[in-house]
Amino acid sequence: MFLKMVKNDLVRNKIVTVTVFVFITMAVILAASAIHNIASLIQGMSKFQESAEPADITVMHAGEFDQAKIDQFTEQYREHIAVQETMVLQNIDGSDIQIGQHQTMAETIQDISFVVQNKNFDFILDINNERLDVKEGYVAVPIYFMEQYDLHIGDSITVKSGWYEKMFVISDYARDYEMNSPLTSSKRFVINQSDYNQMLKMQAGELEYLIEFKLNEGGDAAAVQTAYNEAGLPANGPIIEGKIFTMFNAMSDMVVALVIIFISMLLIVIAALCIRLTFLATIDEDIKEIGVMKAMGISQKGIKKIYLSKYKVVSIAAGIIGYLLSFAAVNLLNGNRRLYIASDLSGNLNYLLALIAPIFVYVMIVLYCNRVLKRVDKISAVEALRSDIMERSKKRKYSFPLQKNKFLSLNSYMGLRDIGKRFKLYRLLFVIYIVCTFIVILPVNMYNTLNSPEFSSYMGIGKQDMRIDLRRTDRITDDFITLQEEFKNDNDIEKYAPYITSSYQVKHADGTWHNLNIEIGDFSVFPLKFLEGRAPEEEGEISLSLANAAEDGLNKKVGDKVTVEAGGKEQTLTVTGIYQDITNGGKTAKAHTSLGVNEASVLWYIVSINLAEGVAIREKMNYYQNAYSTAQVNNIEEYTKQTLGTIIDQMEIVVIGGISIAIIIAILVTALFLRMLLAKDMSQIAIMRSVGLTLRQISYQYMAGTLMVLLVGIILGALAANFLGELLVSMGMSSMGASKIEFVHVIWQTWLLCPVVLLAAVGLTILMSCKAAVKDDLSAVLRS
Amino acid sequence: MTNIIEASSMTKRVALGKNTELSILRDINLKVKKGEFLSVMGPSGSGKSTLLYNISGMDRMTSGSVKYQGREIGSLKEEDLAKIRLGTMGFIFQDINLLKNLSLIDNIMFPALAAADANKHTISQKAKQLMKMTGIEKIADHTSTQGSGGQLQRVGICRALINNPDIIFGDEPTGALDSKATEEIMSILAEINKTGTTVMLVTHDVKVAAKTERILFMIDGKIVSQKKMRKYDARQDDRKEREESIMKWLMENGL
Repeated sequence: MFLKMVKNDLVRNKIVTVTVFVFITMAVILAASAIHNIASLIQGMSKFQESAEPADITVMHAGEFDQAKIDQFTEQYREHIAVQETMVLQNIDGSDIQIGQHQTMAETIQDISFVVQNKNFDFILDINNERLDVKEGYVAVPIYFMEQYDLHIGDSITVKSGWYEKMFVISDYARDYEMNSPLTSSKRFVINQSDYNQMLKMQAGELEYLIEFKLNEGGDAAAVQTAYNEAGLPANGPIIEGKIFTMFNAMSDMVVALVIIFISMLLIVIAALCIRLTFLATIDEDIKEIGVMKAMGISQKGIKKIYLSKYKVVSIAAGIIGYLLSFAAVNLLNGNRRLYIASDLSGNLNYLLALIAPIFVYVMIVLYCNRVLKRVDKISAVEALRSDIMERSKKRKYSFPLQKNKFLSLNSYMGLRDIGKRFKLYRLLFVIYIVCTFIVILPVNMYNTLNSPEFSSYMGIGKQDMRIDLRRTDRITDDFITLQEEFKNDNDIEKYAPYITSSYQVKHADGTWHNLNIEIGDFSVFPLKFLEGRAPEEEGEISLSLANAAEDGLNKKVGDKVTVEAGGKEQTLTVTGIYQDITNGGKTAKAHTSLGVNEASVLWYIVSINLAEGVAIREKMNYYQNAYSTAQVNNIEEYTKQTLGTIIDQMEIVVIGGISIAIIIAILVTALFLRMLLAKDMSQIAIMRSVGLTLRQISYQYMAGTLMVLLVGIILGALAANFLGELLVSMGMSSMGASKIEFVHVIWQTWLLCPVVLLAAVGLTILMSCKAAVKDDLSAVLRS
Repeated sequence: MTNIIEASSMTKRVALGKNTELSILRDINLKVKKGEFLSVMGPSGSGKSTLLYNISGMDRMTSGSVKYQGREIGSLKEEDLAKIRLGTMGFIFQDINLLKNLSLIDNIMFPALAAADANKHTISQKAKQLMKMTGIEKIADHTSTQGSGGQLQRVGICRALINNPDIIFGDEPTGALDSKATEEIMSILAEINKTGTTVMLVTHDVKVAAKTERILFMIDGKIVSQKKMRKYDARQDDRKEREESIMKWLMENGL
């Protein structure tokens, strides 16, 4: 009998059932594909790591180098170090690499080096995660560049540097565990040993060394780093721990997966709210039948089973279909991973783990249904059978009289007063419109923020037109001095400020000394936004990046003291401020020039520049790029775009997805809500028509009410996306070094485009719903 | 006197299943004069109410023609029909059919506000005047769940009158009322008719029909007979005779 009742109910409420089904299916598709993606990301990362065997500690160094000393150090610390290997990079400037006939890689912000495979670990892999074995005359190009310059296997690139000139044919994509991510500023091209030797012989590139250590199981990375520094071994570049590479590799996929899980959760909430609305409307409609059933002696459990069975059937069907469809959806979102981490997505574990989604959704729906159905317990048989009499005896205060309406048309007023009269009914719609707006505007805000030049402030950089980086060559110190001389005489430059980053020893709370990269210079020229406090302005002052100031870093607050070893003596500096920085693993510091340069371990020089009005940035960039071959000249906008390129691309998909999902939700829920509202109001609509109101006038009433709910929903949703969204994104980004993200608002998108799109979709749905709900013969309703 | 309604060969059929149809009205030919007070009687299911809804354009007839004030209502669009209902027709139902979320006075004002022919103050004054005329001015601010059947039916009448209609249709307006309330409602309708408004009622009640000047009798969707009477005048005290003559006529027609 129950099955028959379920079947009848499904047929009777087709639209409602289909809507709830669509929501649950969509929630399952998203959640299952996100879980699938997270699981295969973890699996892919682990396989990638297994094949690539990345170093646990990598020291970057340019300049004088003695391998014997490194070997000695390795022997000394055998208890920690399993293997040591040094990779010699031949750095080639982007402008020296030609793609096709005219294009070069000059615009890239990445350091480009040509290498051969290591012998023991830190292997660079091909697209199948096999170690690359490049033949003579061929080159394996980093995936980042393949994407950036649309390079294909079989294309050629030509390296022209000094006397050296050679054309290479691209034979493979290079998947590089350590330098895959756009967030890592170097990229390695793999060539054959004989080509490499020839390049070396002709001194085509600047040499740089990656002094890499693979540790024993249980080896202490921090201890090795400290010992390395104390031994005074070569380290004029950053020292990087292996886990940072892992984080960089996984970050963009993880962010996208988390956003999708969040959207899926919202969909579950919406499905639950729809079920609640359906239940309340059905129970209201069936209240007499419930009374009859109770009077007949059917148990509450039995009555609830009738209502529950339907949604159990719907949830199971939606769960199965959603789960199966997630196999297709999963590939839409993992393009980045398939390219950068693992192409092979086989493995049953992912499918098994993705099953969590439909099971979770089913349990949530059933638990929620049970909760809503508690209402049935409260209805007594007598109450149910005499519900109309109970209704009559209720005394209510009359509000919103028509006579008080001074400004609005009758239909607009009727629509608006209906919200006041039946707010409980509109509440669901209100919540859903807030959620829809949130889903649209949050990704739009994130996309705009990542795409904005203002984002540089989260990268520890003040606002500026361009910057010149001098890194890792013997000539950089000389170039740095010459460059400043030239700036003094260049009228096109409005202002500039030089910054020097060197590695210092800093004392931690437990008394141990660790490396810290500190940038010195005048930070008042290009002011940076500070989370707390201010930039170091006087002698003895330092400011720390958020990650450095955090508990797992130096654990310092503004006003605390930091002990730094500079120039052979200890100096105590006062922390003046904390800023956000997601570069260099989030751990950076800025100090007043008086700290002095740590000559032995200068890492890089940077000059920030603002050009005079009317000066063409591109021309100026080209000039300095050509004049200083060791320099990297970047437009600040391009710099952030190239660094965050992958995340921006993925956010683009999320933005489009978010808008589509929000519109589908808004249309479906509005249609579902109006169907129920119109069914509930059928007799009232017929009365209005009988006294002479047209269908259009009645539609205006529903339009005015619903659009007002939408309008308020949009305002609250947009505010929530702007403020709550900022909070959520800041929480998510805090592990990367930015805990207070301020969204860049593109006003016309937030307050015009998104609302107009939603208003148009909802308005059209209302018109269609009102039209569909009307029967030609009025008497059928009036007399029923 | 000119005809306000002229129906010829009007039919109404409804689908009962995929291939089955039921004829509710068959070959209806009817003329209603302007200012006439007439009633429709017949057994349940004879098509009385359907006749009312179809000639008023509230329902769509299946075939035939109905001219209302010279306009063929079968060819009018929904919008035009609504306009005609709003401006020239008034309806009174057995179930009263008030808008739940409005007070009684707002229910009365509602059609006038929708027509927007006058300002709010004038409309409000007129509604109050009508309520006073029907003796319900004290419950103006009550809601539609607060009031007796008779009181609420008077609200229905006031609502029907607010736009000065040319015709009032009543679908068993006294069907749910006691005899005292029925008497009062019929007196009000008679007064309205005296002002020149056409009144057409569907009723089972001989006492109600006795107050009208023409009675149509329907069986199986057809008007099978009609009885004309002289205009009712309370002063003449011939109510009993009128009722008995109607009873006799009904029996002659097989009721």
